[in-house]
Amino acid sequence: MDAGLLTLYLFVFPGILFLLGFAFFSEWYDRRLTARMQNRMGPPFLQPFADFVKLLSKEDITPTGVPRRLYAAIPLFAFAAVATAFLYVPVLGAASPFGFPGDLVLVLYLLTLPTILVFLLGWTSNNVFARLGAVRSVSQLFVYEVPFFLAALGPALAYETWALGDIVARQAGGLWIVLFEPLGFAVLLIALQAKLERVPFDIPEAETEIVAGPTTELTGKKLALWNVSKDMLLATGAALVVALFLGGPTLPGVTLDGVLGAVIAFFVFFLKVLFVLLLLALLKAALGRLRLDQLMDWGWKVLTPAALVQIAVVLAVKAGGWL
Amino acid sequence: MPEVELLIGPQHPALKEPVNFKVVVDGERIVRLDLDISYNHRGIEKAAETRDFSKSMYLLERICGICSHAHTTVFSKGIETLMNIEPPPRGKWIRTLVAELERIHSHLLWLGVAAHEIGYNTLFMYTWRDRETVQNILEMISGNRVNYGMNAIGGVRRDLSDPMRQRVLEGLRLLAERADYYLEVVPKEETLVVRTRGVGRLATDKAIELGAVGPTARGSNVPFDVRRDDPYLAYGDVPFDVITSTACDVFGRVEVRVKELVQSVRMCIHMVENLPPGEILVKPPRTAPAGEYVSRLEAPRGELLYFLRTRGTDKVDRVSVRTPTLANWPSVVSAIQGHVIADIPVVVAAIDPCLSCTSRMTFTDVDRGERSSLSWDELVEYGIRYYREKEGL
Amino acid sequence: MTARARPGAILPEILRSLGHRPATEPYPYKTIEVPAGFRGRIEVAEEKCIGCSKCAIVCPTECIEMVAGERDVTHQGRILKRKRKPVVHLLSCIRCGLCEDACPTDPKAIFLTEKFSGAYTERDVIVG
Repeated sequence: MDAGLLTLYLFVFPGILFLLGFAFFSEWYDRRLTARMQNRMGPPFLQPFADFVKLLSKEDITPTGVPRRLYAAIPLFAFAAVATAFLYVPVLGAASPFGFPGDLVLVLYLLTLPTILVFLLGWTSNNVFARLGAVRSVSQLFVYEVPFFLAALGPALAYETWALGDIVARQAGGLWIVLFEPLGFAVLLIALQAKLERVPFDIPEAETEIVAGPTTELTGKKLALWNVSKDMLLATGAALVVALFLGGPTLPGVTLDGVLGAVIAFFVFFLKVLFVLLLLALLKAALGRLRLDQLMDWGWKVLTPAALVQIAVVLAVKAGGWL
Repeated sequence: MPEVELLIGPQHPALKEPVNFKVVVDGERIVRLDLDISYNHRGIEKAAETRDFSKSMYLLERICGICSHAHTTVFSKGIETLMNIEPPPRGKWIRTLVAELERIHSHLLWLGVAAHEIGYNTLFMYTWRDRETVQNILEMISGNRVNYGMNAIGGVRRDLSDPMRQRVLEGLRLLAERADYYLEVVPKEETLVVRTRGVGRLATDKAIELGAVGPTARGSNVPFDVRRDDPYLAYGDVPFDVITSTACDVFGRVEVRVKELVQSVRMCIHMVENLPPGEILVKPPRTAPAGEYVSRLEAPRGELLYFLRTRGTDKVDRVSVRTPTLANWPSVVSAIQGHVIADIPVVVAAIDPCLSCTSRMTFTDVDRGERSSLSWDELVEYGIRYYREKEGL
Repeated sequence: MTARARPGAILPEILRSLGHRPATEPYPYKTIEVPAGFRGRIEVAEEKCIGCSKCAIVCPTECIEMVAGERDVTHQGRILKRKRKPVVHLLSCIRCGLCEDACPTDPKAIFLTEKFSGAYTERDVIVG
């Protein structure tokens, strides 16, 4: 792609500006769905954007005893990590123009970064609640990261490639991976919910126990940027699930070329993301928060073995030559 | 991490009212818990001494928003006994009806708050939506959604008309459906069960020793209910059971409250259908003869006890309020031993704390085993001594 | 209560709620209907008040103040000259209705209305 189109991709669509809009939309959609599930109205469409603008205008306080520059840099790093990860997720066609063999690994590692940053944020805040939340966040990281990687390994193993573009392209024929790896799909969704730190895994940010967890001392612009990073993580996570298991922006059996093709592909991608967001909202609405020791128990006894079973099934299928 | 002191309160998202828990934690495990109540002390007992009966009724009603009718009922019951008058049957039944409606309201509210404490916001929203039905019924009967102002010395102030009764019955039938739904769903939801089973263990003998009352005690299999043990108002004529649970933990208290919710709805339907005709108010004398009386009833949170002393004037000489939440706090301190921080909101919410009701000052001398409360002169003397010694004033 | 516990027991209700209208009342875009007998703002009908001060004596929060206000009032068929009228300090009023019960005139000179909206932009409006 030539430099002008590349810049447009990077900064406008599906780059930063689109990602911001997509992030706000995902948050709105999630909050609205959850509200309707709870039989109430939910926020209007521009609410997340309004929250963002409001936070930008609030006073930005760094508590005493906190290293100022590091503290201010943490939300920026989180924003950058998630935005970079989104670049590699196919949105318009089978492959992102930045894709390369192995970009799945890069995306997975970039998506781990926000959790490490959550820990750093809580640890450097001079606040006992934040410190507790940080420790809880890292404890939770150990529980869900292994199933997350294993579940993402499933499609890569099935098609013997680490490139997201290849995985999506191979599903274009109509054989979506979710059809023969349903367990992996479930595990990835649950692990994604834990990565996003939403109920039932919002232990680090348990409002009724430790105020706001690691983000207790964030205010103003830092908090605005942090919330946007969280929304972007939701959007990127959903897009990743769509690319890995639901065939990404492809329609089974239809070749999509040219501008019209790209538009239809994007529309298909959008619908699939809405479906994944619906599943995540259902998970959030139907369950209560677990305790940390209960999560560890359940995670190591149920979630990780399920992911391992899925890997074993994929290996067996491949060895049997049916794929 | 070494031992850290965590201050939960006086302002904290887990708390609806100010209380201070000074928790010393080692990692996540609680080593020690110190309780500091009395942030909400408003001097109501003293203020009630300077107001006549009908005015202090409105003062006492506002001790708490959720048990407001319980406070006025126990007060008017006590003053009526001291005056040797008795409200007419219809007045008594309407009082009981509003008391049971208040119990429904309180338990639905509690179910929502407890669900919120464990992050289960969907149940919170559903129960609070159903609570609107109860509040609409109460608004129809009394004109207000909280602080009903129904009681007067000698009976109640407002009557139920026949069209009102029909609408109340419709609302109650809807509530009966919802209460049955909660009875079915709440023990089936695994995240709720897993967070409440085995948490906050309070053995039966420990519950009796610490003086727990209400659903906290009944959840530990102590069959104590003032409505049955010391019948008052219309409870002798309305059939009901005392609900206990053998679970002896937070889940037991949840179970007791949900079952009481179902039962209260049935009691209300029975009362509205069988309301006796007649007057609702008997005119009381202006002054009450001298005397002392301990009046008690079963508020939604437990046994509410008023000590009343009159001196032949139209004001009460001393009113001492012992609320159920005050009796339940020691059981929290005992039940939380050995748990983690994540269990604190669960165990605290399980006694249904109403801190506006709690802040009474009682001095207990553990060594001599006596309980006393300082009189006004002693309190003044104590205050002067304290500031002279501690602050050099 | 011995059924086996499973996660997501509330799921059927959630899916049903997705199909229902929300239970939220969109006040103030839709007016609220209050039932008859709702305890709203206290108002005074000065032309009926005979200035006996019973309402001020009975009020638990002592928010009724008798102020000077000369007027002619028709009471039981006669025209009387009255000197005092009650002023209700709405910020202290708890809307218990004892003043209405104590008022000896018929129809009542001080009464509970069903107006529930209590927000004002100027303080003078709410005093009396």
